Amino acid sequence: MTNISGKAYPSERILSLRRKTVSAERYLSLEQAGIITRVYRQKSDLPVILKRAYSLSASLDEISITIDPQELIAGNRTVGIRAGVVFPEAGISWLEREIETLPSRPQDPFHVRPEDISFFRDHIAPFWRGKTLEDDIYGAAGEEISAIETVVKINQKDHAQGHICPDVKSWLIHGPSALAANALSLSGSSSGEKKLFFEAAGMVLAAACRFMERYSGLAARLAGDEPDEKLRGNLMQVSANCHNLSTGPPSTFREAVQSVWFLFVILQMESNASSFSPGRMDQYLIDFYRKDVAAGILDNEIALELMDALFIKFNQIVYMRNGKSARYFAGFPTGFNITVGGTGKNGEDASNELSYLILKAQEDIRLPQPNLTARLHRNSPDEFTDECSRIIGLGTGMPQVVNDESIIPAMRHAGIHDEDSFDYSLVGCVELSTSGNYLGWSDAAMFNLVKALELALNNGKCMLTGKQAGPNTGYLSGFPDYRSLEEAYRKQISHFVSKMTEVCTVVEKCHREHLPSPFLSSVVNHCLRNGTDVTAGGAKYNYSGIQAIQAANIADSLAVLKKLVFGDGLVGKAELLGALRNNFRDNEPLRQMCINRVPKYGNDVEWVDRIGAEWIEYFSEQLKRHRNFRGGPYQMGLYTVSAHVPMGQYVGATPDGRLACTPLADGGLSPMYGRDKEGPTSVLASVSRIPSRLAGNGSLLNMKFLPSMFSNETDRSKFTSFLKTLVKMPVHHIQFNVVSAEELKRAKADPEAYRGLTIRVAGYTAYFTELDSDLQDEIIQRTTQGENG
Amino acid sequence: MAETKGTIFRIRRFSIHDGPGIRTSVFLKGCPLRCSWCHSPEGIDAQISVWHTPGLCISCKRCLTACHNEALKMSSGSVLIDRAKCTLTGGCTEVCPAGAMQFTGRTITAQEVFREVRKDIAFYGTSGGGLTLTGGEPLFQPEFSLEILELCRKAGIHTAIETSLFADLDVAEKISSAAELIIADLKIFDPQEHETYTGQSNEKITGNFLFLAETGKALTVRIPLIPGITDTAENINAISAFAGSAGRNIPVELIEYNPLAANNYRRLGIPFQPDRVFNKDNL
Repeated sequence: MTNISGKAYPSERILSLRRKTVSAERYLSLEQAGIITRVYRQKSDLPVILKRAYSLSASLDEISITIDPQELIAGNRTVGIRAGVVFPEAGISWLEREIETLPSRPQDPFHVRPEDISFFRDHIAPFWRGKTLEDDIYGAAGEEISAIETVVKINQKDHAQGHICPDVKSWLIHGPSALAANALSLSGSSSGEKKLFFEAAGMVLAAACRFMERYSGLAARLAGDEPDEKLRGNLMQVSANCHNLSTGPPSTFREAVQSVWFLFVILQMESNASSFSPGRMDQYLIDFYRKDVAAGILDNEIALELMDALFIKFNQIVYMRNGKSARYFAGFPTGFNITVGGTGKNGEDASNELSYLILKAQEDIRLPQPNLTARLHRNSPDEFTDECSRIIGLGTGMPQVVNDESIIPAMRHAGIHDEDSFDYSLVGCVELSTSGNYLGWSDAAMFNLVKALELALNNGKCMLTGKQAGPNTGYLSGFPDYRSLEEAYRKQISHFVSKMTEVCTVVEKCHREHLPSPFLSSVVNHCLRNGTDVTAGGAKYNYSGIQAIQAANIADSLAVLKKLVFGDGLVGKAELLGALRNNFRDNEPLRQMCINRVPKYGNDVEWVDRIGAEWIEYFSEQLKRHRNFRGGPYQMGLYTVSAHVPMGQYVGATPDGRLACTPLADGGLSPMYGRDKEGPTSVLASVSRIPSRLAGNGSLLNMKFLPSMFSNETDRSKFTSFLKTLVKMPVHHIQFNVVSAEELKRAKADPEAYRGLTIRVAGYTAYFTELDSDLQDEIIQRTTQGENG
Repeated sequence: MAETKGTIFRIRRFSIHDGPGIRTSVFLKGCPLRCSWCHSPEGIDAQISVWHTPGLCISCKRCLTACHNEALKMSSGSVLIDRAKCTLTGGCTEVCPAGAMQFTGRTITAQEVFREVRKDIAFYGTSGGGLTLTGGEPLFQPEFSLEILELCRKAGIHTAIETSLFADLDVAEKISSAAELIIADLKIFDPQEHETYTGQSNEKITGNFLFLAETGKALTVRIPLIPGITDTAENINAISAFAGSAGRNIPVELIEYNPLAANNYRRLGIPFQPDRVFNKDNL
């Protein structure tokens, strides 16, 4: 609990709203799917962009709405909290397979009403079968997608791609009513596709105003029936705010916060996708805050409560995934990423009063959303860095920390102009974006470099199935030297990059044909200026992001080949190849040699780290040879979030000692779990050798610290120093986890994965997995007590 | 300059409890004291030996055949080392694929240590950290310690030593003058008791301490809290009064006893006397 001017936070109201949000039963909701289907049926002759505009407008006019009398900030895309929705125009095949099992699936289940099953099966599915985005993508490139699937996972095949930071600033300056008027007037003076675009944008913006007015009306009606005076006052305020927003831009801080929330609700009603991100909220709300404070109508107490309320709201929309995807993106990482701190236009520190209030809201709410990011740079005030340390120490993994000194140059390297690069924010998890003018298509595909290495060792054949997956480039046993192996590896990578970009072009083209997004486009520069939808390349910046997976396994595996096989000759080429194909069966000593006889990435061993760097650079160069559908460049990301688990399932045993089908290194730039033993500064040294400047799409590093790191001010100040040193290194991002008792139990059960985990007892540090079982148990016991206390 | 070599048993980067800021701690092997509770038994002996970590062992038995002295045998998943037969040729450590059979330390030059320490120089700068020589006993390898300290000092790295101060005055004086901070581990004030539990009288220690205190050198006192031995009010008060008698404000820190020490005794295959004690509040 924080304490502002003597009052305990969060407030009773916030605690109550939080409780209601978390405990709400999740249902499948087909209400909007029904509206969309009806509109598409009725308007089958219209161009897609108008069908999409009519569907969204009808949804904004008709969708059931509700307001909790306690709510300071109103609005949702479904009447139920955290309902799962499906947009049939994107794809329905997974729901056709899984609608009955949604309630019983192990991860992130949803209740399904029996009448919804028949509605879906009788009315929705039959209309859409064969007509969706997904159907067209598979029709055009299905074979190609499966031909490369062991190495490349193509994303965004059955839903809108989301992953964008809208221009919230201009949304707040103009409001939807002015934006609508502008679009309609532009529509009058243009022709052809541009005219359609402006017409569609004007239509949905006008509907957005009506949507807000509906909330105003409902709040007024509820106020009329509300016996409690305080709640009645609140509802009347909500009503007035929504009414004002439907007719003009916000004039108070509270209206601005409400306006931000409406923007994200409506974006979700148009696109149902993950990772629409609010971006630099402390920057675009600060003027509202200061104006109200100066006018005496706002103080930190009220402002924090509004932030708390908004934080809760971000948890009321969840993105329902298919069963397989839900296992890997468990717990609804919807990707509302808020960025605080960082530099201003001239490199000056831009943190402000709201940066701190937003960090405090994280302390108050501690729910999965929003995803909170703190930007640090060399002039970040100590107070801000230390407040970040304090919040990180709470153990929610937030805020994640990003480094302006590394990211801004990387964005410039990627071609972003100076007037935009300073204003970057994070989208979704760690994806980089400028503010409000950037379609990064950041999750276009994941490229499994580890699988490509497997193919390079085995003449293009998958070691798990024996199938020919890549070109014939020879067997490890036949390579006369390390160079020949490198040559084979380059051929495999280059082959799959070319194939991948062909498929990505098809995917983007189908998105343009099925999912033009006039509402989103009206808040992404310069779509409204040039009359072009965002899916057609209307944004100022048009990238596609491909994730390179995974630097650690590549560096470690090639280091083993270089040293043990081609260097010392301690292990024969055929011997290793045979062992890999057999998943090291009956050859644990060889596997242990692979693990222990060659240094690993993450331990500040330069020659090993350089191997990783070299291949990451090669991959990035290959990407640069291609252009995406919107005419923009491909750029590399170095993150997987949790996809290191499914990606690992495709990969046989690897020379770094990893067993077949087990997870790859996590995160993106993290060392292979259990292989880094020299502590966090060594990890950072290794990571800083991987050229993050080429990762314009973002990178991810996970680090774990013990709870004791944050238990007193002296130790915490050392953590703060660690953050202050980070900004001097070419490392984009770190996410900090605090080790829990659960994790120690896993370490005890699976010591190999936790070799680097140190623990502290009574001021002494030891490797946890080297302790005897009874000592481990005592430590687990104590960590549990610490958590309870 | 001659390459001064020494013996260490560990270098720990991101060390945050051995002096101010973020530090690199270098653990020197060999100690003239024989504290009954020693929590780094692998640091006592100046000689490198071999130890075995059961948790890493995969029972492949390669070490058994690699040993020419038949000093090893397998017993319930663990390798037992007959130290009378072991001649430290290291055959077992070379063949062990799992890193379970290892030397307890290594020989290294002062330059090599310095190169390791230098790696985290950026972190020392932001945190006010640096190098800490500890052990074992850094005063036990005076030339080696001195050279490391001087190399670091020239590079602008803050230097500290953590020491029992058991050494001849000239050694203590020389090394102390090369370090910016002395962390003195004072254990037992009563000279008789000190001899009983550490094998040596504390006369040299107290003498060195008073000498250093007079020079104005930055000093911190640490008292390890060994249940029933050093943690009595009488002992703590006596050491605190002694530190105060120097007429300066010398901070006194109380350090919890290390409950994990038993683990390292087991790995070394030597008996461990005191009962393990966990202090509840210190995880």
